Amino acid sequence: MPFWDSGDPMANNIIVENNIIKVKIADLAVQKEQGIIITVGLGSCVGIALYDFATKVGGLAHILLSDSTQFKNKGESFNKAKFADTAIPFLAGEMEKLGGRRTRFQAKIAGGSQLFAFQNKNTSVGEKNVEAVIRTLKEMGIPILGQDVRGNYGRTMRLFIDSGKVLISTVGKGEKDL
Amino acid sequence: MIKKIDDNMLDVLKELANIGLGNAVTSLSQMLGEEKINMDVPIATLIPLQDVPDFLGGGEVAVAGVYIEATGDVNLTVLFVLSLDSASNLITSLIPGTEGEMDEMGVSVLIEVGNILTASYLNAVSMMTDLQLLPSPPQIAVDMSGAIISTVMAEAHLIDDEVVLLQTTLNTMESQIGGNILILPDYGALEKIFALLGLG
Repeated sequence: MPFWDSGDPMANNIIVENNIIKVKIADLAVQKEQGIIITVGLGSCVGIALYDFATKVGGLAHILLSDSTQFKNKGESFNKAKFADTAIPFLAGEMEKLGGRRTRFQAKIAGGSQLFAFQNKNTSVGEKNVEAVIRTLKEMGIPILGQDVRGNYGRTMRLFIDSGKVLISTVGKGEKDL
Repeated sequence: MIKKIDDNMLDVLKELANIGLGNAVTSLSQMLGEEKINMDVPIATLIPLQDVPDFLGGGEVAVAGVYIEATGDVNLTVLFVLSLDSASNLITSLIPGTEGEMDEMGVSVLIEVGNILTASYLNAVSMMTDLQLLPSPPQIAVDMSGAIISTVMAEAHLIDDEVVLLQTTLNTMESQIGGNILILPDYGALEKIFALLGLG
């Protein structure tokens, strides 16, 4: 069951093994003190990792699109984790429930690439997503500590809850520590 | 607005995919010198958007994906996905003597195959429904399957929480080519197709 039906942000997350939580598309997870949150295959999607170094509360969201306001047909099951403008405030709120403090949150972001060379589109979904994520973080006063965005390749993102470290892996382009 | 997509509707989509993709596979078989190609009966499922990457093996595996958007009376997205080995074998089959490398020539072979598969499928659907469908130029990417599928869903504006996925697997008998074809209609397309067929 998607977490937005149950009201429990962890309900939909797959616990792969000890303390590893997998976040799917249009989903998010939060964790405290230890463990890893991973999201696989970011293309035009953007992964947003927020972290509070003082309390070791971390969270990761995997957004699909930039802007929820153009989709009015939201209904009661509206998935906030799908859009940049709704996912990041929601993620921050979930982290506060675990004891994080918003003024200490720092962000690392990855994704927003353009895998296909769409000739007839002015702005790719990836670019719009990156811009929306940066704008939303700015509005919320959350500094961006590291980023690996745009380009034309996919990424997998891992957030290490004990340290706030974020590792980005790719196909054929190695691993990067943000 | 479709209230709910029921099993009956999914069966209709499945049958459309079966006939359309059957034609497409016949075209591919002719290209490969009449090699026998096995195509599974397509499945039509209504699944959570989040679970779509699992249909391509979970997300992180590297694949080649050819993406074609059909516009016109309705919008459909067709994605042809091959493992890297299969892509290489396909290139070798079509340009004998090469190593199946994903160079400029190899990539254009994959694009052309995607083009032919898609055009055959769209023709068949057009014939059955009287809908006009115009394919866009194919785009190719070689990357993580999850990155490819999520990008395609985002570009196709498949923003509902559940998507109708039409999917089949094909395998050749001799040249070891296996691939997946995914068709993602948007909600507008589904409404029109169902209305035409009296299922609205």
